[in-house]
Amino acid sequence: MVLTGRAGLLAAAGVVFVAVLMPSWSGVGLVVAVVLVVCLVDMLLAGSPRRLQLSREGDNAVRLGEQAVVQLLVANPGRRVKGLLRDAWPPSAGVQDPPHRLDLPHGERRRLVTHLVPTRRGDRQAYRVTVRSIGPLGFAGRQGSHQVPWTVRALPPFNSRKHLPSRLARLRELDGRTALLVRGQGTEFDSLRDYVPGDDVRSIDWRATARRGNVVLRTWRPERDRQVAIVIDSGRMSAGRVGDAPRLDHAMDAALLLAALATRAGDRVSLLACDSAVRADVRRPAPEDVLPSFVNALANVEAELVQTDFRVVVSQVLERLGQRSLVVLLTGLDPAVIEESLLPVIGPLLRRHVIVLASVADPRLIELEATRADLTEVYGAASAARTRLDRERVTAILTRAGATVVDEPPDQIAPALADTYLALKKAGRL
Amino acid sequence: MLRLPLLVTGVVVLAAVFVMIATTATTSGPFSPDSTEPSGARALATLLKNHGVDVTGTELLDDAVDPVGRGDRKTLLIGPNGSLDRYDWQRIADAGWSHIVLVRPGTRALEVLAPGVHDSTSFLSSESREPDCDLPAAVKAGTVTVGGSTYSAPPGAQACYGDGINHTVIRLETAGRIVDVVGTSRSFTNEQLADDGNAALALNLIGTHADLTWYLPQFESGGVDNGDEDGPPLVPPEVRYVAWALAFAVLVVALWRGRRLGPVVPERLPVIVHAAETTEGRARLYRRSRARDRAASALRESALGKLHKAHGIPRKADPSAVVATVAARTGRDPAMLYELLYGLPPVDDSALMYLSHELDVLTQEVRHP
Repeated sequence: MVLTGRAGLLAAAGVVFVAVLMPSWSGVGLVVAVVLVVCLVDMLLAGSPRRLQLSREGDNAVRLGEQAVVQLLVANPGRRVKGLLRDAWPPSAGVQDPPHRLDLPHGERRRLVTHLVPTRRGDRQAYRVTVRSIGPLGFAGRQGSHQVPWTVRALPPFNSRKHLPSRLARLRELDGRTALLVRGQGTEFDSLRDYVPGDDVRSIDWRATARRGNVVLRTWRPERDRQVAIVIDSGRMSAGRVGDAPRLDHAMDAALLLAALATRAGDRVSLLACDSAVRADVRRPAPEDVLPSFVNALANVEAELVQTDFRVVVSQVLERLGQRSLVVLLTGLDPAVIEESLLPVIGPLLRRHVIVLASVADPRLIELEATRADLTEVYGAASAARTRLDRERVTAILTRAGATVVDEPPDQIAPALADTYLALKKAGRL
Repeated sequence: MLRLPLLVTGVVVLAAVFVMIATTATTSGPFSPDSTEPSGARALATLLKNHGVDVTGTELLDDAVDPVGRGDRKTLLIGPNGSLDRYDWQRIADAGWSHIVLVRPGTRALEVLAPGVHDSTSFLSSESREPDCDLPAAVKAGTVTVGGSTYSAPPGAQACYGDGINHTVIRLETAGRIVDVVGTSRSFTNEQLADDGNAALALNLIGTHADLTWYLPQFESGGVDNGDEDGPPLVPPEVRYVAWALAFAVLVVALWRGRRLGPVVPERLPVIVHAAETTEGRARLYRRSRARDRAASALRESALGKLHKAHGIPRKADPSAVVATVAARTGRDPAMLYELLYGLPPVDDSALMYLSHELDVLTQEVRHP
C-alpha cells in the first residue's frame, strides 16, 4: 500500500473540515473514515504490479567510463497499471535515469531503457525492479518488486591504447618490414638483397655474391612466435591507491598495452593474475582473441588483502612456459616483500626466462619528498626519501640478479613497459 | 521475514515503557525521599525505613490533608519550595496530624501552623554547631552541621542550633500537636546527612511516629482542580479535535513521503588504501619518537644519490672524493660540505630543519648551476 500527495491533501482538508464544521469526535472519526475508505478503494482498483511480466535485453559488457544500455520489456496481462517503475542497480553501476513513468493499459507492452555508466570495474548485477501502481483516483496504490536478473560487466578501460599507434610504428621499424643488417642474438634470417652504398659491409653474403656476380647482402629480422607471460600480482601490494585507482588497475592498463603490442609483433601472450591463488588465467589465446579474453578475465579481478605467494606464481609460470620466454611481473616494489618472498624463489625463473618487473611508482612520494616547509613535512620528506632509497636498493638487487625493473608513475607505466619490451626485442633478448 | 524483528522491537519497547511507568518514583526534585541527587533525601528516607518508620512520599495536597493509615499518631513532613495558599495550609492544620515537621517554611505556613515563629532575614553559614538547648533530639545528636534560614522563636518554644538570637531548629507545641520548624534543610540531604550528628538529629526529630507522610508541595498545588468552574478555559475544547485531525493528516503525509520506491541496494565496496600510507605513517613515527638521526641520514643519503647522479661520481667513491668534487663544482667550503653531507646527526629540530634546507639548496644548485 502506498499513499500519494492527494491523500495528504484530503487529510489536510479534513483538518479544515473539523475546525470549521464539525469540532467533535464524530467529525474526526468521519475524516479518518473517509480518507481510509477512499484510499482502500483506490488501492483495490489499482492494477497489480506483481502480475506484470518483465524481461531484459541489451548490453552485457561495457568499457569502464562508457555507457551501457539495458532495456526492460514490460508486458501487462492485467488491469491498467499507471505509476512509477524503478530499475534498481547497485550504486557503482551508475544508473543515469530517474524512475520511469509507466502507463500500461491491459494487454500492452513497453520498452523502458536504462542507461548505465559504471564507476568501478567488475560485474554489476541488476537488483530489483519495483513497480508502484497508483489507483484511478490517484489517492493510493500498490507496490511490488520483481527479480529480473541481468549482469553488465564493466571491463578495464584500457586507457593506454592511445599509446599503441606510436609503439606499433616503432615495432614496424624493427620488424621484418625494415630488415636488419646486423645479425644478433634473437634474429633470424630474412632474405638476400642487393648491396646499396652505405650498407654495412659485414653483412655481405660472400657466397651468394660469388654465385650471382653482384654484391648481395643478408638481412635479418627479429624472431617471432616468442612467448610472453604477463603476471599481475593481485595481492595486497596492488591494493594501494596511486592517484585515483588501485595499483592493480594501472597494472592492468599496462598489461593490456603490452599484450596488444606483443600480439601485433607476432608473439604469443598469456596472462596470469595471482595472489595466494590464481584469479585470472588466459593461456595462449588466438591472436585476434587476445584483448577480448584478457579484458574479460581481468574484469572481476580485485586486489585481495593477502600477501602474494610468489612460490605459486613461479610454479605456475614455469609450468606453462616451455621455451625461453619473456615474463613480465607487475607487482609493487616493497623492499621487505621483494627481499623476503620474491628473491628466494625467483631463481628458476631468472635462469630460464627473461624477467621484467614492472611497478607503479607513487607520485605522492615525490611530492612528499619535495615539500619541506615545516618540521612535520621534513620528517615526511625523510620518510619518503627512505622509501625511495629502499626501492632503489631493491631495484639494484633485482637488476644485478638479471631482471629488468620498470618503476614509473601511473601515467608512464604502460608506455614505459611497452618501450622496455621493444628494447628487449630490438636487442634480441627474447 | 521483516515483521518478526519489528514485532520483537515493539514488544520490548512496550515492556520498557511499562516498567518505567511502574517503577517511576512518586516524587522528585530537591529534598525528595526518592531522589539520589546530592540535594535529594533518599538517604534519610532509607534510614527512617530501617528504623521502622513507614515513609510515604507524595506530591499531592490530598495526601497531606487526609492522614490515612494505621494508628492515630502520625507525622507529616512538609518539604521546602512549593506554594500553597492560606486555605491549603489551614486544611493541613485541620487534618489532625500529631506531629508536623516544616522544612524551611514560608511566612504563610508559619502563620497558620507555627504561630509566634517568624522568619528572620538572617542566614546562617554552614558549619558544625552545638545544640545550645534542652530539646532531647538535639541533645542526643550533639554537634550538627547546620546552616540556612533562621527563625525567631516565641517564648516557651525550644530553639536550637542558632547564633544566639535566631535558630534553625525550633520545636513548639500548639493546638495539641508538636510542630518542628527546620531551617537547615541541607543538613538532611544525601550530601550532608553523614556529617557530624546530622543523621541522629534527623532520626530523633522526624522519626517520632511510625507513620511518616513526606509531602513535597508543588507550585501549581492550589486551584487546578477547581479552575474549570471558575473562568473560561485557556484552550478552547475544539482545538483538541483539530489537533487530532491534524495528527491524522501528519500521519497520512508521513506515509506518503516515507514510502520508498523499492529497498536500498546494498553493495560490497572495495577497501581504499593509499599507497603512500605506510610512508606517511613512518613519517609520523619519526616525528613522535624524534628520530632526527634516522631522518637526517635518509635526507643525506637521498641528497648524495642526487649528487652522484648529477656529477657522475661513482657510487662507491669515498666521502673526501665526493666532497672535493662537489666543492669544486659549487664553490662551497669543503669543510662545511663535509659537515653537511657526513656530519653528526642534528641535535634538535631546528638543526634538522636547517640540514634539510641546506641539502635541498645544494641539490637544487647542482641541478641549476
